[in-house]
Amino acid sequence: MRSVTAILQKIFTAQFYIQNTGFFLVLFYLMFGVVDSGSLLPYHRGLMLGFLGNTVFLLLVLALWTLYALKCTGFVMKVLQSQGYEFLYPTMGSMDKNKRLRAWLLVHNAIYLPVWLYAGTAMVVGFRYQYHGAAVCILLFNIAMAVWPVALYDRKLFQPDTFFFTGYLQRWLNRHFTKPPVLYFLYELFTQFPRRILSAKIISAVVLWLTFFLMHQGDYFDLRGLQLGVMVSVLLHLQLLTHHRAFDDTWLNFMENLPISTFRHYIRMAAIYLMMWIPEMVMISVNAYTKTSPLSLLMVFAMALSLLMFFRSLLYFPKMNNELHVRYVLLTCFVVLFMVLGHNEWLAILLLQTLSAIVFFAKYRKYEPHIEP
Amino acid sequence: MSEPVIALHTVKKNYQDVPVLDIPRLELPAGIYWLQGENGAGKTTCMKVMAGLIPFKGEIRLRGDVSSKDHPVAFRRLINYAEAEPFYPAFLTGRDLLELYLGTKGGDRRLIGEIAERMGVHVFVNNPVSTYSSGMLKKLSLLLAFTGNPAVILLDEPLITIDTRTLAIMYDLVRTWHANGTTFVITSHQPLDPNEVALTGTLRITEKNITLN
Repeated sequence: MRSVTAILQKIFTAQFYIQNTGFFLVLFYLMFGVVDSGSLLPYHRGLMLGFLGNTVFLLLVLALWTLYALKCTGFVMKVLQSQGYEFLYPTMGSMDKNKRLRAWLLVHNAIYLPVWLYAGTAMVVGFRYQYHGAAVCILLFNIAMAVWPVALYDRKLFQPDTFFFTGYLQRWLNRHFTKPPVLYFLYELFTQFPRRILSAKIISAVVLWLTFFLMHQGDYFDLRGLQLGVMVSVLLHLQLLTHHRAFDDTWLNFMENLPISTFRHYIRMAAIYLMMWIPEMVMISVNAYTKTSPLSLLMVFAMALSLLMFFRSLLYFPKMNNELHVRYVLLTCFVVLFMVLGHNEWLAILLLQTLSAIVFFAKYRKYEPHIEP
Repeated sequence: MSEPVIALHTVKKNYQDVPVLDIPRLELPAGIYWLQGENGAGKTTCMKVMAGLIPFKGEIRLRGDVSSKDHPVAFRRLINYAEAEPFYPAFLTGRDLLELYLGTKGGDRRLIGEIAERMGVHVFVNNPVSTYSSGMLKKLSLLLAFTGNPAVILLDEPLITIDTRTLAIMYDLVRTWHANGTTFVITSHQPLDPNEVALTGTLRITEKNITLN
């Protein structure tokens, strides 16, 4: 009979490496494939001495290891929340505490192993080249990274409603705060698909930063340039729009029995995208408030919101699959781009708002998910 | 025959091109009805159509003048539905759902609070539904069906997954609410206990149509 440890390693460790094969291949290539084999050892020794001897560089490396630790922790927590793994609660929950903590320690460190290997080598180099302080710092940091998630996993086992490290906060919120429907989709993204929303937001922020950077390099500020960046940022949200439709189709059907007018459903949709785009609005305001008028900023925000609302409304055509949707989205962007270049932004906003309202009010009550035959 | 509480006129429902329901006319006066039909006959689809959950062709009228087409909001205020296998977004709590239903459908908060306590829902109402068992979800769904001031309550397989104590409470609620004028349409593969509820009639789905016996 297989030991409990072996079964847990199969459930967590093997699955982690299988699911992240692509990630590790890219990482392996970046770490060992970009240097010729003869220079590999001196290259890595140089790299290690670099962060062992420079505090800022060391902090950067520790930050990267923290991200990896969060990735590992997120994976284990996601498995514990996944359908079909409920058996882990009664089984692991029945184990003796010391045995259970040892099992968690093994699971977590098996997936944290790549960092341990690199950090262990760096520590050896550190002690050999007299960087004792940095080596001890790396050791203590990695011990912390290897231990704190164990406490989190163990707590999750006895408090299954804990999504991440926010268990107490969640319970307090659940008792004192009623989630309004406008927040449902954002809750879904942040609790079930945090990587999806965070990656969309990070890439969107990079695009906007690049837009401002290019205008700054050219020593000019053109509202049309900013709106081009805004359109790209909106396009980066397309995956979230299709996710929104799938979420509504799967989970919110019960709301169709509630006496809520189509107008209120429409306002809810507008509010969802307004909230979703708040980070970009803050970023644009901070970078552009000295360069343009508040009315121009309002126009930029209205353009982004109108595009998002129109693209979401298109998904109320049941047969609008991803391929068709992208086609209509790109066609819309093409038309809007020329309207922006011709300084007809408010007209474009008016058209987008009118079209999204027409589609939404015509389709909302008749909408039913299309199942491919 | 007294004034119908719910009337279906030329109601048709297709899934893609496959017809599932084709009901030329059905009028039900106030009462308690047992909706029968084999697996796949269209009982749940019929309930979802009546509750306004899925689009359909034709028209349903409640209390004579509230039309599913012309008064979609008023229509939904008058008809409640408890699903056979309810499911909600994992992060919502029972309290979130109760507040949403009470906020939109209205009704007596104190009364709903009392029913919640009788059913034992108050014990877990602050927890996310992802932590509920199927029985707890069913209790919550039944409780939500009693919010507002509905003319019709549709209960889809209410006898499954709930414990005997809750079953007795449910029968009591059906009797009490019916005495106050609410009509019930109940689907169940198990016969409803004749000592607990007096049926007004039996509805049978065959050949996509519903007939009242």
